[in-house]
Amino acid sequence: MKDVLLVAGREFRQIVATRGFWIMLLIVPLAIGATIFASARLAPNPGVAFTLVDHSGLFTERLETRLERDHQREVLRDLAAYVERWDIAGLEPAAPWGQRGNWMVDSEVERFVQLGGADAALERLGRALPREAPEFDKPARLFPRVDPPEAVPTDQGPEAFGAALAPALKEDVETPQGKLPLALGIYIPENLGAPETAARVWTNGGVNYGLLNIVHEELTAGMRLDVMQAGGLSQQAAAQVQALSAPIVVIEPAAGEERGIFATGSIIPVALMYLLLITAVTTGSMMLQGVVEERSNKLLESVLACVRPAALMNGKLVGLGGVGLGIILVWIGCAVAATLVSSGAIADMLQSSIQALDQPWMWAAMIFYFLAGYLILSMAFLAIGALSDSMQEAQAYLGPVLIAVMLPLMIMMQSSLRNPDGMITQVLSWIPIYTPFAMLTRLGTGVSLIEVIGTTVLLVVFIAVELLVLGRLFQASVLNAGKPGWRGILAMLKPKPAGD
Amino acid sequence: MSKVLQFENVTKQFGDFIAVRDCSFTVREGGVFGFLGGNGAGKTTSLRMALDILRPSEGRITILGAPPSRENAAKIGFLPEERGLYRNMKVLDTVVYFGRLKGMSPADARKSALGLLERFDLADRAKSQVGKLSKGLAQKVQLATALVNAPQLLLLDEPFSGLDPVNQAVLEEAITEAAQRGATVVFSTHVMQHAERLCDRLLLLTRGSKVFEGTQDEARAILPSRLTLTARSDPAELPGVAAAAPVGAPTDGWTLFEVQLESGANPSQVLEASTLRGFALRSFDIDRPSLHEVFIHLVGADQEIVR
Repeated sequence: MKDVLLVAGREFRQIVATRGFWIMLLIVPLAIGATIFASARLAPNPGVAFTLVDHSGLFTERLETRLERDHQREVLRDLAAYVERWDIAGLEPAAPWGQRGNWMVDSEVERFVQLGGADAALERLGRALPREAPEFDKPARLFPRVDPPEAVPTDQGPEAFGAALAPALKEDVETPQGKLPLALGIYIPENLGAPETAARVWTNGGVNYGLLNIVHEELTAGMRLDVMQAGGLSQQAAAQVQALSAPIVVIEPAAGEERGIFATGSIIPVALMYLLLITAVTTGSMMLQGVVEERSNKLLESVLACVRPAALMNGKLVGLGGVGLGIILVWIGCAVAATLVSSGAIADMLQSSIQALDQPWMWAAMIFYFLAGYLILSMAFLAIGALSDSMQEAQAYLGPVLIAVMLPLMIMMQSSLRNPDGMITQVLSWIPIYTPFAMLTRLGTGVSLIEVIGTTVLLVVFIAVELLVLGRLFQASVLNAGKPGWRGILAMLKPKPAGD
Repeated sequence: MSKVLQFENVTKQFGDFIAVRDCSFTVREGGVFGFLGGNGAGKTTSLRMALDILRPSEGRITILGAPPSRENAAKIGFLPEERGLYRNMKVLDTVVYFGRLKGMSPADARKSALGLLERFDLADRAKSQVGKLSKGLAQKVQLATALVNAPQLLLLDEPFSGLDPVNQAVLEEAITEAAQRGATVVFSTHVMQHAERLCDRLLLLTRGSKVFEGTQDEARAILPSRLTLTARSDPAELPGVAAAAPVGAPTDGWTLFEVQLESGANPSQVLEASTLRGFALRSFDIDRPSLHEVFIHLVGADQEIVR
């Protein structure tokens, strides 16, 4: 055991001393950090501005009202999530922000506005908010309206309006939310609804379907109102018909229990699966290089005079395992630090996914599958190293092995985006070299304990056999020079006296 | 003297190829023991079997009183023929690592390693990476890894191959010092000069079989010594002389003869007989056979060896 640890320590130090190791260690946290930073600071503002000329005088207010209601709906939705996140929803459960689904109900949005909106709500909730809670960040208005540029004539017909507006549609304009692209110019004639008339909309060529839909819906609604009134309905009755909205109550389970269980429960295991693949392949390549170096440098004989081949092999595996675990610990540390720093969506997501993995055996299974997957891939790399005298030779073996490992996993990953518990993933769960990856993908979907036990037993047996085979291969090949053929490899796998 | 290494009817077979054939010999404690033989004689295989890197197909090996195993690693130093080190490791760390693999404590391994690096003029390179050393310096580091545990038994496989004359001298000195402090040194070589200078006892192998085991004198005695003498008349009549051939023309009546002795005869008998018979001699030179000649005599001229 002492020899194994000595070899493991040397392997660990050798890999840690390489530049590749540090690049790999830092690149994931840096990428995550850069993503968080970019999404927080550099993400483009989704809002766009529009300008409106309404010669009918009937639609401006309607459109403004609609946009304001939609904005308040978003404020209410975010406020309800914020209240739930900081566990103060129970303070006023009947308030519009007391239930997450209320934002879908127009009457709740109106009640929210009548109660004073977000400012009044926050004032009422202020004392109950925990100290660490960040200030509520109200969403910005998505579609602010701006006046037409001065040079654009509004009273010389739509053609003149559109022609003069065209250059402005390529520019950003000043809005209360800062500079935003001027996305739409809307021209409503005085007699909209009369034959041969139409509202004209000039766009900047961007994807502005949200705003266009709102404009279209509100113009349509206004015209319907006119038709209803012309048909004899009183203004009040027509307005009531227009305001009709199907009552809908959305009931969501409490956060972290069942809501989004598949998605949130899979976050940590699937992330581990990806990390497993990255770390095992990268550190395995480093070990492969080390073994090839030992063989090509002819220093194996010196080492084998002091330690048994099995101790050398196991030491390498333990050392590599240490590297892998070290990487994972650093990455997890970075993730925890990121959640503590950001304390926003990422923290919520992580917390939810931790809560979703509510069975202790799931955590044990997750760690087991990770280590088992790491061991299986490491042994494959070690076997290739034991058979190769140079990296060129190693590549000849590595290519087919990587394809055999990666191809089914790629297909599985693709299919698991739609359904993590799909047929392909289920089948791969019972093929030992893919078991760790498939089971990590499925763990968050409520896979049964029986299946976990079954695949674990199969995996343990497979690892034991793989260790035995690798031990023979390693022992037989370490001092052999030259590239053995498949027959030679099979001959090496036959039992021989120890030390031979 | 106790037996340090003993092979008893050892055979090692790789498939159809027999690398070592029914080989028996004994290395006793102390002194320098040489494995002599051309390429493919079975020297490296024998050393690997002694170290338990390979297991014999037949026969029995005893090393330091026990069957070969890594349990003995603490008492053995080994320098393989094909040398290599971890290129990214530092010099001191490399020597300490091998000391640790041989069961030394970290402190002892470090102390011994520093002493060896000092001795081999490598102290100022202790923190250098092995990969940045010249070949000669790297070979010194490798020698230090073999000596770090002050081994009772030092096994050196073709230790002089690839060394420049300066490093050959360093190695010879290290071998001599190890022997002087009581270690037993076993080294394989196909260079007869090294064996002649260093070995007390020899084992000659050819194609896996032992052809000789004994001291240098015993080896040389296998071939009769060559005698050259200058006399006025043919020395063939002297007892012990099988034949004599003149070399060149006589000068002032004196002729140089190359004398072939009868089997079992020695030059001192010829000298004694000359004196008793009043056989006039102007010169009398005894030329003992070299190990190279003995080797060629025993194994044939087709073996790849170096004088």
